[in-house]
Amino acid sequence: MLEQFLAELKRAWIQFRRYPGEAIGGIFIITSVFYGLFLSAKYIAGPGLNFGDRLDAVIVGYGLWTLVTFVLFDIAGNLQSEAQTGTLEQLFLSPWRASRVFLLRAIANLFVQMLLLSCIVTLIMTLTGRFLSFPITLILPLFAVLLGAYGLSFAMGALSLLLKRVQQIIAIVQFTLLFLLTAPTEEWTGVGRIVGFLLPMSGGAGVLRDLMARGGDLDWGRLGLALLNGVVYFSLGLGLFGWAERYAKRWGKLSGY
Amino acid sequence: MISLGVGKMGDQQILQVEGLEKSYRIKKDWIRAVRSVSLDLSAGEVLAFLGPNGAGKTTSIKMMAGLVRPDGGKVRILGGDPHREAPVLRHVGAVLEGNRNLYWRLTPEENLEYFGVLRGLSRRVARSRGRELLDRFELSHKRNAVVQQLSRGMQQKVAIAVALVHDPKLILLDEPTLGLDVEATMVVKRLVREIAAEGRGIILTTHQLDVAEELSDRVAIINQGSIVRMARTQDLIAAFSGGLYEVVMEDLPEAIAEKVVALGALVEGNTIRVPETDLLYGVLDIVRPGVILSVSRQQANLTDIFLELVQGDR
Repeated sequence: MLEQFLAELKRAWIQFRRYPGEAIGGIFIITSVFYGLFLSAKYIAGPGLNFGDRLDAVIVGYGLWTLVTFVLFDIAGNLQSEAQTGTLEQLFLSPWRASRVFLLRAIANLFVQMLLLSCIVTLIMTLTGRFLSFPITLILPLFAVLLGAYGLSFAMGALSLLLKRVQQIIAIVQFTLLFLLTAPTEEWTGVGRIVGFLLPMSGGAGVLRDLMARGGDLDWGRLGLALLNGVVYFSLGLGLFGWAERYAKRWGKLSGY
Repeated sequence: MISLGVGKMGDQQILQVEGLEKSYRIKKDWIRAVRSVSLDLSAGEVLAFLGPNGAGKTTSIKMMAGLVRPDGGKVRILGGDPHREAPVLRHVGAVLEGNRNLYWRLTPEENLEYFGVLRGLSRRVARSRGRELLDRFELSHKRNAVVQQLSRGMQQKVAIAVALVHDPKLILLDEPTLGLDVEATMVVKRLVREIAAEGRGIILTTHQLDVAEELSDRVAIINQGSIVRMARTQDLIAAFSGGLYEVVMEDLPEAIAEKVVALGALVEGNTIRVPETDLLYGVLDIVRPGVILSVSRQQANLTDIFLELVQGDR
């Protein structure tokens, strides 16, 4: 499995290095959108405003949204472009399960994406003059969020496998995603609290907010629930992908666009 | 169901296909895309799978490769079921029709390494196999050029090399010479012969019947989802060639022509068509001592046979 992961990493790295224009364009767009919003907020609030820790939390939220958006559409986007260029069936001729191939590929792509994200966050920090600290405990809720994100990514991949064209669905999901990552579900009460735990990624994002914006300690109970939530969505996504693969083979839908 | 032919080497069965069935629903109607397709393939044998568009060739090939699940029947590759035992796919290499089969942003060498690992090799072995294949396919000078910059013929050679990187026993080639120029077609034909000579079994589909005639040991002609004829290529050609001879004379006086026609031959200008071998010598006696320019036996080709079988089936 390590060999295959390294092969995926090499493939992702070569494509990134060989066509840097796309990556640099991405960094420029994501950073300038944030900076534009930042300048607008500053203008509205006037010269006396001090954003303080809240700006830190917004930067973290924005970075997280960028990362999760990438993860979410990685598998579906890959499937769509491979169906278009004609390499998809070659991937299904592998003795490994397709879900394994796509998961390893998505993780390899995440490594490259992390590199881009570091550039974006560094640029934003330089532009805003706020420098974040990154406590090691961030990794755990981030992992919970990524598990959920990969689960949804496989679900999107399943749709892509069956429909091939999923741009419209991607646009809708992207807005829903913004809600899931920014809605303070940890502050909801009653039924809303239960719904908050059931929504994908929302619990993990809440724990991250606590750590980053509110300066709180890690709440192990909520982290446990967030991880459980991540595992459930990941398993559901994998299950759906497996079903879509069988369906596509049954109806001869693996190729074609 | 069509009975199976005997393989070229006859010793090792690479592929066994029995009673493959596949139906698709288009709106409310069910279309039987493949009906009772059975065949086998031995080591070193090339089987040409021929048929008009929509006859079920590609669906059959994809069922053999585990990419489309059959509704009925079974596929065995070296005894294993590609639909249930994924490791069996290690024995399969494929170049599929209309597909690029390669990553265009990677070089041939990078493609070979990536797909080698994807097929279960270690990166070290995939790299070294890749280099061997690039040398053998005379592509070493292009090893560092990205695939999208290569000519169509070179891309097809790389695709075949990728299909071979994990040393599979069964090679499926769907339209391997489609869109290639004359020179590239010759190269691909040579490679197919070499690959088969190494003891691999090859199934190829093509619309270029001259290519099929030249390369295949056996042909299977499929029409409307069923195999309508499967035989050794040369046997099929001989069977359809019959006993027709053509005798071309320098000059054929009318009196002699009449005698020849009375014997049962046909005359067209200075050419005499003799329908049976037994009549040939009688015709030669009649035309003696006229000058004979040529005597030839009419040889059917795969195109004629294909058209006769496919159109006769409609």
